[in-house]
Amino acid sequence: MILDLERFQAQARPRWNSLESLLAVIEGRPDHGLNPAEAEQLQELYTQAAADLSRVTHGALAPELRQYLERLVARAYAELYYDPPKRFQFWQWRRWLKIFTAFPEAFRRQSRYFALAVLITVLGCTMGGLAVRYDPASVDLLLPADYLRDPGKRVHAEEKGENRHVPSKQIEAAFSAQLIRHNIEVSLLAAALGVTFGIGTALLLFENGVLLGAVAVRYTQQGFGLFVAAWLLPHGVFEIPSMLIAGQAGFYLARVLLRRREDRDVRQTMHEWLVLIAGLALMLTWAGIMEAFFSQHHEPELPYGFKVAVGGAELVLLAVYLLVIGRRKTNDLAQTRVRAEDK
Amino acid sequence: MTNARPIRLSTSAELTIATPEGVVFRLPLAGPASRLYAMLLDIVIVLATVNGLGLLVYWIFSKAPGFGVMVITLAEFAIGFAYSALLEGFWNGQTIGKRLFHLRVIDQTGLPLRIEQAWVRNLMRVFDALPFAYLVGGISVLSNPLMQRFGDRVAGTLVVRQTPLLPPREEPWTYQKYNSFMNYPSVAMKLRRAATPELASLIQDALRRRNELAPYARREIYRELAGYLQSEVSPFPDELVEMLSDEQYLINAAGVLFGEQRLTRVRR
Repeated sequence: MILDLERFQAQARPRWNSLESLLAVIEGRPDHGLNPAEAEQLQELYTQAAADLSRVTHGALAPELRQYLERLVARAYAELYYDPPKRFQFWQWRRWLKIFTAFPEAFRRQSRYFALAVLITVLGCTMGGLAVRYDPASVDLLLPADYLRDPGKRVHAEEKGENRHVPSKQIEAAFSAQLIRHNIEVSLLAAALGVTFGIGTALLLFENGVLLGAVAVRYTQQGFGLFVAAWLLPHGVFEIPSMLIAGQAGFYLARVLLRRREDRDVRQTMHEWLVLIAGLALMLTWAGIMEAFFSQHHEPELPYGFKVAVGGAELVLLAVYLLVIGRRKTNDLAQTRVRAEDK
Repeated sequence: MTNARPIRLSTSAELTIATPEGVVFRLPLAGPASRLYAMLLDIVIVLATVNGLGLLVYWIFSKAPGFGVMVITLAEFAIGFAYSALLEGFWNGQTIGKRLFHLRVIDQTGLPLRIEQAWVRNLMRVFDALPFAYLVGGISVLSNPLMQRFGDRVAGTLVVRQTPLLPPREEPWTYQKYNSFMNYPSVAMKLRRAATPELASLIQDALRRRNELAPYARREIYRELAGYLQSEVSPFPDELVEMLSDEQYLINAAGVLFGEQRLTRVRR
């Protein structure tokens, strides 16, 4: 034994104990905050513990003591080198509102991935539409549900309100929650599938596009174009873009993961991804409410022209919101601080 | 005995971190089993919370049950993600389940994780849970040296084991009054040279768990260990071995390895 363990431990134990109690205090704080005196003390005790660890590692056969000291040094290291986020409090409502400007900013910064998502969806739409148009046999395959294959019956039933046995706000409310939840889940999956280097995201978007194209062509073929526009547009103008934004988030994630590890700014990346998710969740909440409370009401209750006009107005508002809000800020401040993933 | 399992230090996967000061320390990583138990416990807690909340919501919305369903459906969905994300983010990487199973989520550089990381790794659950029962996440954990599921890989986090540790206490063999091995400096020196850290801690553990072992197993283990030591440190003076039981033999060996006694220079 190079090291006299017994004496060493007896000497060092008081400082280990005071480091432990200091760490317990700091770790208990939600923001890991330190005042200057504590920081100084922590730095000193950490240095000593690290030196002790190094002596035990190289100068003695004491696996348990080594393990204990490693744990202690790890905890102190974590507190010392952690750069705590700015104090954030739940009642700072202004910070919560920031999502409304951060979302369009993030959307515009990563617009190239949005373009890719649009491209893939349009490709899917075209394929689905062409298949239904020129290959009647594909209808059974592409449109598995009866109501999609045979629009006439469905339109008739919808217009007579047959599907709404209890036409009440109560059912609609419960229905809207289901829609919101389901849509957010699917979008989240599309965004998370970015870890498959975007392949999963692309497949999901493509499938979505095929279905969309097939339904649109099928209904139009049979002369229900206006009905389907009035039926889908009021919520679809939010639902489909949010699916595209989910694809955007997925491709963005894929691009980040394809970079070399040391080039990633993990913190900024995750923030961007989360902002996109939060934004699309808000969009889908609105879409779910519209789908349940508005889209399911047909003529004669609501004229189709009016419903289409509402959809169009929503689309314009959404476009203005995504393209204009926070623009001045983007140009000077945010753009210098946050680079797009374009190197 | 050579293929005996080395003791806990090297069996489990671990994260090695070198600090800017040049200090190297290791953190033991959490295996999939304990993480699964912690998650199951968290699921139970979330379900209980949601159901409790559900009763309250239905009571509040008894005049408008549809809106009650709406509130509780959305609340269930939000709580499912927010429970882990917020607790991990604001409670130093632990949910209630993780705390009970001594697990902690940390940044892969050894620092506490940030709230963004907590959100990302928990939102990524929708992928890790595919196609059922966290199959994707489980395969990822088993195939990754840092035992990360995909959510951890994206967020740059990992789960470490943090069983509370106390500084080791004194062992009886470190203050032996008399150790016959010390009369044979050459034997003591050979023993110290032959003992790898693994072997030394094996002997230490075998002695420390004396009372946890069944008598028969204890006898066998001590005999094997003593035999192995004798074969390593040969020639061994016969008069030293004849007088000692295997256990006393190991205690003396541990005394040589861990104790503080100076070698007595006996003129013979």
